Amino acid sequence: MAKTIIKTVDLRKTYMQGRIPVEALREVNLEVREGEFLSVLGPSGSGKSTLLNLIGALDKPTGGKLFIENIDVSALNDNQLADLRIKIGFVFQFFNLIPRFTARENVELPMSIAGLSKGERRKRAEELLQMVGLASRMNHKPTELSGGEQQRVAIARALANNPRFLLMDEPTGNIDSKNAYEIIRLVKRLNEDKGVTIIMVTHDQQLAAEAKRIVYMLDGMIVRETVS
Amino acid sequence: MRIIDLFSYAFSAIKLRKLRAGLTTLGVVIGIAAIVALLSITQGLQVAISAQLQRGFATDTLIVAAGGGLGGVNEFNLLVKDAQTIKEMDNVTASIAVIQRICYIRMPNGQTRRVTVTGVDFAAYREIYSSAFAAEEGEIPLNPEDNAIVIGKQVSDPWGNGTILCRTGDTLEILWTNTTARPLRNETYVGRVAAVLREIGGFTIGGPSDNRIYIPISKAQSFFGTETCEMIIVKLRNDDRATIDSATKAIREALGGRVSVTSSTAILNIISSVFSTVELFLAGIAAISLLVAGIGIMNIMIVSVMERTREIGILKALGMKNHQVLLIFLCEAAIIGLLGTLIGIGAGWSLAQIVLRIFGSSDRVGIIRQGNRAAVSNGITITPVLTPTVILGALVFGLTVTMVFALYPAWKASKLKPVDALRYE
Repeated sequence: MAKTIIKTVDLRKTYMQGRIPVEALREVNLEVREGEFLSVLGPSGSGKSTLLNLIGALDKPTGGKLFIENIDVSALNDNQLADLRIKIGFVFQFFNLIPRFTARENVELPMSIAGLSKGERRKRAEELLQMVGLASRMNHKPTELSGGEQQRVAIARALANNPRFLLMDEPTGNIDSKNAYEIIRLVKRLNEDKGVTIIMVTHDQQLAAEAKRIVYMLDGMIVRETVS
Repeated sequence: MRIIDLFSYAFSAIKLRKLRAGLTTLGVVIGIAAIVALLSITQGLQVAISAQLQRGFATDTLIVAAGGGLGGVNEFNLLVKDAQTIKEMDNVTASIAVIQRICYIRMPNGQTRRVTVTGVDFAAYREIYSSAFAAEEGEIPLNPEDNAIVIGKQVSDPWGNGTILCRTGDTLEILWTNTTARPLRNETYVGRVAAVLREIGGFTIGGPSDNRIYIPISKAQSFFGTETCEMIIVKLRNDDRATIDSATKAIREALGGRVSVTSSTAILNIISSVFSTVELFLAGIAAISLLVAGIGIMNIMIVSVMERTREIGILKALGMKNHQVLLIFLCEAAIIGLLGTLIGIGAGWSLAQIVLRIFGSSDRVGIIRQGNRAAVSNGITITPVLTPTVILGALVFGLTVTMVFALYPAWKASKLKPVDALRYE
């Protein structure tokens, strides 16, 4: 059995909305193994994005424990969290590319943060863009690319530093259905051919069904789980 | 992240908003240019004036005058023969008495003018002020014949345009009213111009001046009917502080403490300290404009951080550390600060040149004018002076101001929580 890379124990997150505390996550227990493709499905406000942000080390839990490769994330300081994020690939609904950079420069950025030399960065960025099918559009800026292309650049960027796992927050939420299909094919290929662990958050049942394992969330809790 | 990558990232952000960055830089340019221009002008002025003073001052001289300083009733008279007493003291190589009276002179063309007539020992005076008491025309007689006189450049050429009123060999009449005689008596001294001095410029204390007439001391004594003198100029063996102090003390003691002894070096020091104060004051005013520029930088950067909140969120999500975010924003400020400071130094230097060109027609600036209204040529040349200290100081100051004002926005950016920053619209 593949080893566990993510484990949450009674994970809780409470937001303050003005003066009212909102419980976004209540005692979530989840275990993700290496090489898995997992969908987190739920309506908006169910806490699925919050869960993803916690796993992505973008936010700190209010209670409970989060282990990534047996490291207790809740005990890490800002710098250690930043180091951890280098090893996590994040794909956002709104792509979040840097508009003034070309596709290649956007893919290079995480490697630049990780301290790689210009030569290494360039080479790997080109390989990755080729892999996501954008070899001919490397020097285009995000505004010159379609939504689907932008998301593929974002996926290439997420893979730049050989992440331990890929987190996707509604990756097709902003893309037309034809391009969304292309994206999901790419994601499945990454998981099946390259063995990349993927956690994908969505409210789209059909999309979630592409994953082998689906976790259903409601009101900040995991209510059901299916494995195909 | 490598430092070069931090810089190139910062640079790409600056390039994105060229006009804004340009205007921010302009603020720094103006501030630094003002400082550099003011400093190089005042330093140029100081150099020019000091040079002028040193020519007429001779740093190894002391000026002895009756009385304990400025003003007040003076019951003590300095005698011509006191010069001899002083000359015999230690460390003194020459000592000459100076008699001065304001007289009218009648030019060869019949015009009369008011000038100061000075009685000195030509040979000794020449020894002390060798560069200033030098003839342009004729020769200064060291053993003057009875009626030989030496005239300053302005007496000969009062408008500085070549209209010569009298030259070597001409005869001048010096008219003096003896106010101690009753009834008042008008005396006339007929002198033959033996030499016209080189132009000296500026002003001097004790030393030669452009608009005076010099007659031998013995003639001055008999013509003005006096044994007293206005001052005694003492030349010392050297201009060491110790020599100056001990000679000053000895002279004061010998003359019963009733005289003031002024060292030329001391005056020069006072003048340069006055200049330093003026310089500091002007630089302070200019620094305010740089401070305003600093506030502009802060303002722009706060806006920039707000606009780029989402970008900061992306960078953090990709693993950038807080201090790296801080450095990126500081790098942006540093680029603007460095660029602005470098351009500012150049602009300030050019500004100083232009200002001196405008205010000093053909580089000649009438700073100190003395004597009669015709003393137009009595100006000194000022060239702006830009020392390495000023350049370095401007660089350090310009960069420090930009960085200090950028610190708060940069810190604010670095403290943004990634999840909040990413959510920012």
